[in-house]
Amino acid sequence: MSEGALAKQDPVLAVDDLQKSFGGLAATDHATFGVERGTITGLIGPNGAGKSTLFNLISGFYEPDGGTVEVNGTDVTGMEPYEVADYGLIRTFQTPRKLEGMTVREAMLVGPREQPGESFRRLFTSPGTVAESESANLAEAERILAEFEIDHLATQPATDISGGQMKLVELARAMLAEPEVLLLDEPVAGVNPTLAKKLKTQIRRLNEQGTTFLLIEHDMEFVMDLADPIVVLDQGHVLTEGTPEGVRNDDRVIDAYLGGGA
Amino acid sequence: MSALTDPRGAVEDLTRPEGWVLGVSAAFLLFLLAALLTGALGPTYFLFLVGLAGMYALLSFGLNSQWGFAGLINFSVAAFFGVGAYGAALFTASGSPLVELFEGVPLLPSLLGLPIVGLVVGLAVAFVLAILIGIPTLRLRADYLAIASLGLAEVVRLIVLNERWLTNGSAGVRGIPGFFAGWPVLGTFPEAMPGLRLEVIPGSPVLLETAFWQALLNVLLVLAFAGGVYFVLRRAHRSPWGRVLRTIRSDEDLARALGKDTYSFKMQSFVLGSLIMALAGVFYTHLNLYVGPGDLDPITTFYAWVAVILGGSGSNRGALFGGIVIVTIREGTRFLNDVALPIDPAPLRLLLIGVVIIAVMRYRPQGVLPPQRELIWPSAVDGGGAPDSPDSGVREQKGGGGDE
Ligand SMILES: Nc1ncnc2c1ncn2[C@@H]1O[C@H](COP(=O)(O)OP(=O)(O)OP(=O)(O)O)[C@@H](O)[C@H]1O
Ligand SMILES: [Mg+2]
Repeated sequence: MSEGALAKQDPVLAVDDLQKSFGGLAATDHATFGVERGTITGLIGPNGAGKSTLFNLISGFYEPDGGTVEVNGTDVTGMEPYEVADYGLIRTFQTPRKLEGMTVREAMLVGPREQPGESFRRLFTSPGTVAESESANLAEAERILAEFEIDHLATQPATDISGGQMKLVELARAMLAEPEVLLLDEPVAGVNPTLAKKLKTQIRRLNEQGTTFLLIEHDMEFVMDLADPIVVLDQGHVLTEGTPEGVRNDDRVIDAYLGGGA
Repeated sequence: MSALTDPRGAVEDLTRPEGWVLGVSAAFLLFLLAALLTGALGPTYFLFLVGLAGMYALLSFGLNSQWGFAGLINFSVAAFFGVGAYGAALFTASGSPLVELFEGVPLLPSLLGLPIVGLVVGLAVAFVLAILIGIPTLRLRADYLAIASLGLAEVVRLIVLNERWLTNGSAGVRGIPGFFAGWPVLGTFPEAMPGLRLEVIPGSPVLLETAFWQALLNVLLVLAFAGGVYFVLRRAHRSPWGRVLRTIRSDEDLARALGKDTYSFKMQSFVLGSLIMALAGVFYTHLNLYVGPGDLDPITTFYAWVAVILGGSGSNRGALFGGIVIVTIREGTRFLNDVALPIDPAPLRLLLIGVVIIAVMRYRPQGVLPPQRELIWPSAVDGGGAPDSPDSGVREQKGGGGDE
């Protein structure tokens, strides 16, 4: 069985023997690992190792060929993304997603889940409740934007801000969905060092407040500084898992990155 | 609201295209008024045109709540329109084949002839049809709905054309009463009104007779329909519900990742739009008093798309504006023909619409009256202490700097 998953005391996410192939290519090849509650777990691996595919499988965007995904002890394998989100797992995307025609704070307001105003009927039967929750969500969005020190962007068009600011907004919006575990796909790719530092501070702060993170990142300095433990993926399977120190000095990891393969 | 308390401020608050639209509309209204007073435009015919404009506005509202809100590509506007029109016609017309079909069935015949029953049936059939077409396509990529709806439009048209026992085939359905037939007061209002003779300009009197009062009732009816729909759509557009739809239109995967059941939201948007289109059809039946398979031609779908794109996808007032422009072009070309140009109006009409579309795409790809930038539930923005009022929002050209 899966030593990685079983070794965890209180896994918020457990991936067991997950498989996915595209044609002849095994993008995810019997991957097994777990994410301990309260950690910032890193997920690294060379380009094409299957990291994003793994995120897509976990969050319900892809249907796995085999294996299971558990969130908070519930088997969510094969569920729709919105159902997985209901169990407390939210993910972001590798390429920033733009919401055309919305201001930043409007785009933020998509985040909160189960808003009363998302029911068409209630717009007309209980507009008061809708207004109340909208006010509360707006205040919350503006509070988080302020915490992220980007409140000056609130009424800017969401498409007119820099790539780095967009990553910050994505993280802030994901927090409005109140996830227990947040999956971030390359949060600092293409982000300037100042903003990257800001993102690191924010992730750490949110983690201290109780959110568990699983993050994919190519920036080794960033991920080694932030995450512990780190899971290394190569050609679709888990190569090793360990502390930043241990992973950095593991010969198999170095081999994988140098393109030798396993 | 603000326009009433502070008219000058409201005018100054307009963006340039809004001012432009307002100006052109005012000039156009003056022109129509002149034509009415001089007798060049018959008042009854004019009211018929207003009714037609209202009908196109309804069609555009329907398509806007699918394409403009959620990005759903529906090429069967004519089918949903036709289902509404035929549903209403078959249940109310004296010449309806249903009268024979239902003979001997208890209770049912007494329901025939009631316009309100026709309305309910038209909407109910559209509802079922929308769900049936939505179930297999809305889980898939956007192109599947486009293709399926293209097929649906043709299927509905062919059924209407060929199932003569039900629809009378190519002969169409005649003997349709006005919508208010059988109502207290309103049912007899046109006959009860005296004929009036107005002579504003000496020598060219304007006659207001029964047909005029009938047409006036139709205009009131379409104003009620369109007003009600506009109210519903405006509220929906600014709500969290509308925001999820706009997220789906921009990036469906993002909405899914944030825990939204996008299939359900798309279905709601699709059904809502289809019901509005069917409502347009119901109204058309009682306006035109005749429906035939020609009313299901793809040109209706085409006009609705032009109206929405012209007005600005996602914008309810844009859809209204687009609907009026379509009727102006459609009916105005008849006049051109009468007055000066020895050209057949049909190709001229399409040519004009083509030119308008190219001009808009070239100079204003977002449409003439695109939606306001920021759509947040109005009282929430007020409560949040933001200085911009919900009616002005963050407008183009004024966007961004509004909060400093
Ligand atoms: N939808 C798909 N269809 C076909 N092949 C795919 C698909 N998604 C991913 N792949 C392939 O699966 C492999 C793993 O891709 P994936 O995007 O998961 O890698 P990654 O580890 O995220 O890489 P990167 O660091 O470059 O983002 C690649 O070879 C990729 O080409
Ligand atoms: Mg990737």
